[in-house]
Amino acid sequence: MAAQPVTAGLGRATPKRHPLRDEPKLLLPRWLRRLIIVVLLIVVMIPVGYMVLMSFTPNQDVALGTISVGVLGFQNYLDMWSAAPLAAGLLHTVIIAGSAAAASVVVALLAAYPLTRFEFKGRRSYLYTLVALQTVPGTTSVLPLFAVLSWIQTTLSVTFIGTYWPIILTYMTFGVPLSTWLLVAYLRTVPRQLEEAALVDGCSPLGALRRIVVPMAVPAMAVAFLFAFLVGWNDVLFASVFTNQHTQTLAIALERFSSTNAIAGAPVYGELMSAAVVSSVPVVVIYLVCQRYLVSGLAVGSLAG
Amino acid sequence: MSAAAETRAPAPRTPAPAPPTRRPGRRYRAGRWVVRNWRDKPLWMLLPATLALLLFGITPALLTIWLSLLNLTVSTLREWLEAPFYGVHNFIDAFTEPSSLGVTLGWSIFLSLSFSLLTTVITTPIGIAAALSVHNRFKARGLVRAVYLVPYIIPGFVTALTARVVFLNGSGLVDKILGGLGITNGQTYWLIGPHAYWAMQLTELWASWPFIYLMALAGLQAVPDEQLEASAIDGAGKYGRLRYVVMPQLSGVIKLGMLLATLYHFGNFTLAFVMFGSPPPAGAEVLPIATYYNAFDFFNFGLAAAIAVITMVILIIPGYVYLRSTRLTGRVY
Repeated sequence: MAAQPVTAGLGRATPKRHPLRDEPKLLLPRWLRRLIIVVLLIVVMIPVGYMVLMSFTPNQDVALGTISVGVLGFQNYLDMWSAAPLAAGLLHTVIIAGSAAAASVVVALLAAYPLTRFEFKGRRSYLYTLVALQTVPGTTSVLPLFAVLSWIQTTLSVTFIGTYWPIILTYMTFGVPLSTWLLVAYLRTVPRQLEEAALVDGCSPLGALRRIVVPMAVPAMAVAFLFAFLVGWNDVLFASVFTNQHTQTLAIALERFSSTNAIAGAPVYGELMSAAVVSSVPVVVIYLVCQRYLVSGLAVGSLAG
Repeated sequence: MSAAAETRAPAPRTPAPAPPTRRPGRRYRAGRWVVRNWRDKPLWMLLPATLALLLFGITPALLTIWLSLLNLTVSTLREWLEAPFYGVHNFIDAFTEPSSLGVTLGWSIFLSLSFSLLTTVITTPIGIAAALSVHNRFKARGLVRAVYLVPYIIPGFVTALTARVVFLNGSGLVDKILGGLGITNGQTYWLIGPHAYWAMQLTELWASWPFIYLMALAGLQAVPDEQLEASAIDGAGKYGRLRYVVMPQLSGVIKLGMLLATLYHFGNFTLAFVMFGSPPPAGAEVLPIATYYNAFDFFNFGLAAAIAVITMVILIIPGYVYLRSTRLTGRVY
């Protein structure tokens, strides 16, 4: 039996072991373990620390490389909001990624329920297709989507590109495979006797899903929502094609901010770094707070791609 | 079964539902609750997901192949159904002539392969070592594990922006350190010219090793303690246990992780797009960048579609072969 990644261990606790029995489980000598940890912590923290340090350093000092303690201050964090449309970008990201994630969790739950509870032809193929779709890079689908949408725009003389719709639907679709896998893995662990009882008592499948499964699947749904939300939060490719100045996401606002200033020759790297810190803090905090649940989700997610 | 559910069920394709006694031996196969009456299976619930994946996932991928055969420019894009048929000319052009970016498709393929394979090869031992280093309990293990995850959870565009500042010529952190140590003159020009590839490569290494770490950690947790204890009693030392007990059990999950990581690096658009100015230096023109710039900066959509098709071909073959041969098939119950 090959080693299996955690497939369903949402929040599973490791039992405490007796210290004397731990010796055989030590896989590396202590000095080597310490060496690896110290080196990796340094490698990880230096760029992160540099980003944070630069976010407190005035723009011209970052550009010139004259860094000293005396110049540090919060000015970047105040100036950046007017230098780039970050607040609007944040709002658009929350709207777009939030609705895409909510839709993708609902769609994924609807799909995961029959996939875990019923046998039917093509069930395996469906799950494989979900895995396969995860590996298709976005650059191969952005072009045809753009072509089709501009064609529909011209033919029906409506406007899609630049509105919320194409980007929300795209992110929703990209969130569906992972969310479905997370929910499939979770629903496998939920006993089905309750639903059976509900069905026998005359509940419809949808009713059983809504009244019995949903309340039990809330933790997995929250994890799925978060991962689907991150699809939208982190994406640059689709947002740079499907949004305009009025709908651009935080990532795009930052990307444009950095490239326009590079051209204009007035580098604002300090403000760029403070904006970068603001863009990562929510994600990092959420991860660290919910680490236990999310890491098992990451393992499931990575299994699905 | 309620009347409401009956009406929600899709119209039967075959009029008579199979009686439960038809294949009695399979009724409780694998402990599954098998409902033989198809009306009880709410397969319509799969419709939204299927529709979304068809419209925004599978159809675009197939459509790319068609678009790659057309002479599709900004003037013909809106009426792409009537765009002139171009045959394999886009592919020939892509391979033989430098695009507006100044590189040929062959160069982009080489860059992408080198970028993704090198990243996977280098990050795999780092990820395994990291997983081994935090597998056993110690004080502050939770903190170390949390920090290990940081490069992975920082958004990709933030990593790229930070890399831009870290690799600034002369005043960036890397040039300061290298110049300070006297290794270089402190004017490396990481973001333009021939060093750009290595700046991008280093950034991807930094950002992506925790993925292998996560996979290896998940694999490690599945190794039963009893096996380690038994092998210790049988006289296996630390190295023996690692080499002959742990590693064989990790290899499956790590191979899968390596494949997924390679596919991910291959499709990474954000890093090169955000890290470098427009147009990016020749050393950063990986396939996703070539696709994007040819389509949305130079409006040669046919050529971009051809590059996208080549990308898919390169990805699909190893991905398919691997997915067929891996024990993943055993895990998808």
